[in-house]
Amino acid sequence: MNGAIFNLAYKSVTNRLFTVGLTVLAIAMSVTLFLGVDKIRTGARESFSTTISGTDLIVGARSGSINLLLYSVFRIGDPTGAMSWESYEQIAGASGVEWAVPISLGDSHRGYRVVGTNNTYFERYRYGRDLPLQFAAGEAFADAEGVVIGAQVASDLGYEIGSEVSLSHGIGEVSFAEHDDHPLLVTGILRPTGTPVDRSVHVTLEIIDRIHDDGAHDDDGHEEDGHEDADHHQHEPEQITAVFIGMEQPTLVLRLQRQVNTYPEEALSAIIPGVALMQLWEVVGAGEAAFGAISAFVILVGLISIATSLSASLNERRREMAILRAVGARPGHVFTLLISEAAAIAAAGAFAGIVLINLVFVMIAGLVQSRYGLTLGSGGLSPTDMVTGVVVVTAGALMGVLPARRALKNALADGLTIKL
Amino acid sequence: MTTEFAIQIGQLEFGWKPGQTLLDIDRFELAAGESVFLVGPSGSGKSSLLAVIAGIAPASAGEIAILGQDMTALSPARRDAFRADNLGVIFQLFNLVPYLSPLDNVMLPCRFSKARRDRATRNGSLRSEAERLLNSLGLDAATISRASTELSVGQQQRVAAARALIGAPGLIIADEPTSALDSSSRNNFIELLQGECEAANSALLFVSHDEALGRFFDRHVDLADINRAGSVVA
Repeated sequence: MNGAIFNLAYKSVTNRLFTVGLTVLAIAMSVTLFLGVDKIRTGARESFSTTISGTDLIVGARSGSINLLLYSVFRIGDPTGAMSWESYEQIAGASGVEWAVPISLGDSHRGYRVVGTNNTYFERYRYGRDLPLQFAAGEAFADAEGVVIGAQVASDLGYEIGSEVSLSHGIGEVSFAEHDDHPLLVTGILRPTGTPVDRSVHVTLEIIDRIHDDGAHDDDGHEEDGHEDADHHQHEPEQITAVFIGMEQPTLVLRLQRQVNTYPEEALSAIIPGVALMQLWEVVGAGEAAFGAISAFVILVGLISIATSLSASLNERRREMAILRAVGARPGHVFTLLISEAAAIAAAGAFAGIVLINLVFVMIAGLVQSRYGLTLGSGGLSPTDMVTGVVVVTAGALMGVLPARRALKNALADGLTIKL
Repeated sequence: MTTEFAIQIGQLEFGWKPGQTLLDIDRFELAAGESVFLVGPSGSGKSSLLAVIAGIAPASAGEIAILGQDMTALSPARRDAFRADNLGVIFQLFNLVPYLSPLDNVMLPCRFSKARRDRATRNGSLRSEAERLLNSLGLDAATISRASTELSVGQQQRVAAARALIGAPGLIIADEPTSALDSSSRNNFIELLQGECEAANSALLFVSHDEALGRFFDRHVDLADINRAGSVVA
């Protein structure tokens, strides 16, 4: 008996293709928007939480973990202080440490942060799902005068391999003391990563020292004998800002973190990047939930359009209901007819929306990855797609309850005859 | 159905609202297989009587038995099922479900009633029975294959008649089925309908305000004569 009703519902819906089509379109669009926002949220959260990966600890001068994360990884704000090279060497030499990358911050180039480091940075820095930094052009520092720039720096400033870069002390957009006496040449341009690396200018630690020496002429009493040595890779600055550390075994991370935090020679902090990133996301990700709520409301609007269009069609279908009653359809049949029409409309809309959003993401995923370094999910049907589909169809069927009740009331009141 | 009466009504009272009596009928009977013309001006309660007979509106008081079944004793759901099994209805206009083909319209009652499907498929498939009825009501294959909404009013009424007749229900109710037809197709329609009712041994209650149609029927009942409440309302 219900098979007959579903058959009727199908024919009734396909008979009103235009209005039903519009409703399906509304549902499809709202589902597309919701899933699109959700996929971008997921992508953004994942991308954010993997701004840096593969690094087990970040060590810097004593500060809050988010602060240390902000300046060392996101290059936002000023370092709270420096740590001595001796401490760096101690930590780098600690048991269980596989590698340690020193970074020195505090300078800028035309508004972009300058990161002093060495070549191990390009080998060890990982982001996303353990993705290494790759060179779009050129290579890492070949000597002390090398400069490696992020993808966005290259495109915004129009730099190519061999472009001249002058550095300034401080981080302002306009520098007060551009050191044109140290013209440096771009030796490498990194591929887009979707991380702050894209907006960084990487130079050697020695260059950082030189800027500061010139600006303060050795008033820190730093011994410059290293400069006479031709081997720039052995350059030892007096102090750096932070260290990225990779451990031989993950189990050793907590022990080293404790050791650093209680290091007697200097007040240092060690943070686990993943943990700090999630703490930070709780702050910056608040807007993300708002987006989700807004797009959920858009779905609700789409669902209400089901009830609207079915209710609007009821007057012209009054006779149809009377005929159905007259030929033996029970109230339950009329009810089932309208509910299944609503569910069918919702299902068509949900299906179209899910297909559409996945098509769009498949089409733009490559572009977004290469241009912005953002990974938009893994593609294909996600559990969220499925759950959304089920919820939309269920809620859509419920939206049929209102018009169905009205149709029943009409059909009972109309009896066998209706004057239309 | 081998009951003596298609319709038996005694001391029936009915009103759509409490306190309002639209119908007050002492006695009205229709023998099994009989074809009766019920005439009455509009507003005389014809439609209400049909709704009561069809079991869509419950009587306030009195007895009503259709094909020997006491309708007042049935629950609403059982009345619906009984109607599906034993009643064919033809409306005045717009009889067809627009999104169903003429054939699907004719077969529709058999989707809701197993009894009628069983009776309709006694001599072959449901589809062939529907086609047979449509053909004997004067609709050719070309007409049947068109969309329901493209049929002329006369053709639609024939499809509706075939739908009422399929599965040989014991009682056919026709509510002003010819009022939108011109006189020649009207006469033709009534003759075909009567012929098919005889063939199926279905009783026919043909309702109209047009007294001129009475000549086609053995018996002729004026609702004003049997409805004591009629004069009050009309």
